[in-house]
Amino acid sequence: MSNEPRLKAGERAFNVLLLLLSLGVLYEAYQIAGFDLPNSPGAFPILLGLIMIASMIAILWGQRQHPKPDTQGALDETRQFLHEHFPLAIVVFLAMAIAYLFLLEFLGFIPATAIFLFVAQVYLRHGRLLASLIITAVATGIIYALFKLLFQVYLP
Amino acid sequence: MADSVSYFLMAWLDPSLLMLTAIGTLAGIYVGAIPGLSVTMATSILISFTFSWDVNDALALIVGIYTGGVYGGSRTAILLNIPGAPSSVATSFDGYPLAQKGEAGQAIGLSTVMSVIGGLIGVGVLASVAPFLSDMALKFAPRDYFLIAALGLLLVGSLAAESLSRGIFAAAMGAVIGLVGLDQVTADPRFTMGSMQLMGGIHYVVVMIGMFGVAEAFFQLHQLNAKPLRQKVDKIVPSLHLVLKFLPLSIRTSVIGVIVGALPGTGGDIASLFAYDHAKRSVKHPSRPFGKGAYEGLVAPETANNAAVGGAYVPMLTLGMPGDAVTAIIIGALVVHGLNPGPMLMIQAPHIFWFTVGNLVLANLFLLIFGLTGIKVFAKVVELPKAILIPLIMVLCVVGSYSLNSSMTEVYWMLGFGLLGYFMKIFRFQMGPVILGVILGPLMDKTYRQAMSSVGNDTGSFLLSLVTNPLSLVLTTAVVLLLLSNTPLKRLLQRRRQA
Repeated sequence: MSNEPRLKAGERAFNVLLLLLSLGVLYEAYQIAGFDLPNSPGAFPILLGLIMIASMIAILWGQRQHPKPDTQGALDETRQFLHEHFPLAIVVFLAMAIAYLFLLEFLGFIPATAIFLFVAQVYLRHGRLLASLIITAVATGIIYALFKLLFQVYLP
Repeated sequence: MADSVSYFLMAWLDPSLLMLTAIGTLAGIYVGAIPGLSVTMATSILISFTFSWDVNDALALIVGIYTGGVYGGSRTAILLNIPGAPSSVATSFDGYPLAQKGEAGQAIGLSTVMSVIGGLIGVGVLASVAPFLSDMALKFAPRDYFLIAALGLLLVGSLAAESLSRGIFAAAMGAVIGLVGLDQVTADPRFTMGSMQLMGGIHYVVVMIGMFGVAEAFFQLHQLNAKPLRQKVDKIVPSLHLVLKFLPLSIRTSVIGVIVGALPGTGGDIASLFAYDHAKRSVKHPSRPFGKGAYEGLVAPETANNAAVGGAYVPMLTLGMPGDAVTAIIIGALVVHGLNPGPMLMIQAPHIFWFTVGNLVLANLFLLIFGLTGIKVFAKVVELPKAILIPLIMVLCVVGSYSLNSSMTEVYWMLGFGLLGYFMKIFRFQMGPVILGVILGPLMDKTYRQAMSSVGNDTGSFLLSLVTNPLSLVLTTAVVLLLLSNTPLKRLLQRRRQA
């Protein structure tokens, strides 16, 4: 029985993706100036790409003796990963956040923010319409006054 | 000298600066205390709003938030057993058991006074050491800066991350993000993948807001229904006898805090754990066993994490290297205001140094006032449900990233980095090395190329220069030892010694 901690569902796949990303970084770094002079604009990026690859190989090598996740097959592992790290609350909140960004471009800051805050609170607090409405109105007002009037920043 | 004194007193005598420091400190205490909000998150969001401000106003607010925030985490660590900030993790080990014994008021009062003592010692060291270090730093060669930056990344990688490999990977990835855009010297596009939008680079604040704000907000969604236990808080102001009893320990742990804080890349979170460990080893007869409500276990991390604030400013103001993530953000603010953090800052803008020192002292005094009052209001605010807090964090992240360039592109990048940060957190990669990589990457690239040019592009001469100059030799040795200490070689040697 190994004393090493059990790998998380999806951990090895994520690390392999990071290794592929590192290879992509090395390729992009080589594209800058090839293996030109040691002080070329591509030299340090190539070094970084190599460091990323080496450290990711070290991570994967170190994990080779860790027990695999307690799942049966890739599909089950994916299901467990989604269950553990992307529960419904996170998926819905992420969808609301993306919708909020789109709404900002179409409706402007105040309506989009008010809709986002209200809907997100109603969902996350399982109802409480009146309280959510009051908090939304107060929070949107404060954020607008603080940033637009006091800090004088441009709002979306 | 007279100039230094007038710069030191600038924030004390100007009503608006005085008020900004006070507001910053009070806000910092709440930001640090509310689980889910962090000083790094607050300063990274705030920094984009202060770009159009006068530099003194911006610095006064940030210094206040930084000082208050590092302390604020201790309150929730004591009251709710939830460290409001990473620098307060060690505080909860004995702070919460104290609260369970009905001594929450005394614990908060003592941690406030000790935080102020630690903070003032940190500022004292900053004021006395930084001018000399700055003079010395003028003699540093580009290769020394390169080595210091590498040392900082390795330190934060090995101390903050689960393993050095993870820390190095995160730091290198951050450095790659920092290099995206046109090269400053040759205007060659780097990592732009043909995109015009990437030519201008990725603003480091966008990365910070995404990784510290959005990623944390997603993470907090896992604990939506966690209900904190409430504690009774009575007398807060600690007796003089209690303060004097722990003064020697607080001085020792302050020194630890300043040194750890001054190392590039390491901040209050690591300092407080070192200090707690020191207290456990050095105090033979604690007031109670450690972990069961020992006052020593509260005093040590609380003095160290606030002393680390002054320490973190040392490399930032003298070398232009961030002591931790917050000072990395402050470097960005100084650059935006046309200032050049590093050894030349003392010559070109000495007022910034003495203004910061005076401001830090002021923020610590405000900390004493706010720390010992308003606990009843505080207890109500920190219990703000996460279901309200998380959507608000999201809105603030959007406002903060949009205001950088008045562009939605930054907002989408911010969300993208937030998701990447969430994945990285799931699989135990730390955000600290990524952020320091973003800041230090371009600096390392610049100094590496300068060092290489100075030896005529000869790799052999470059490597030789790393061991022939005394300072470079020390730094190279430190880098190599740090690397070796995290390899199987160390375990092999230990095993052989035991055998």
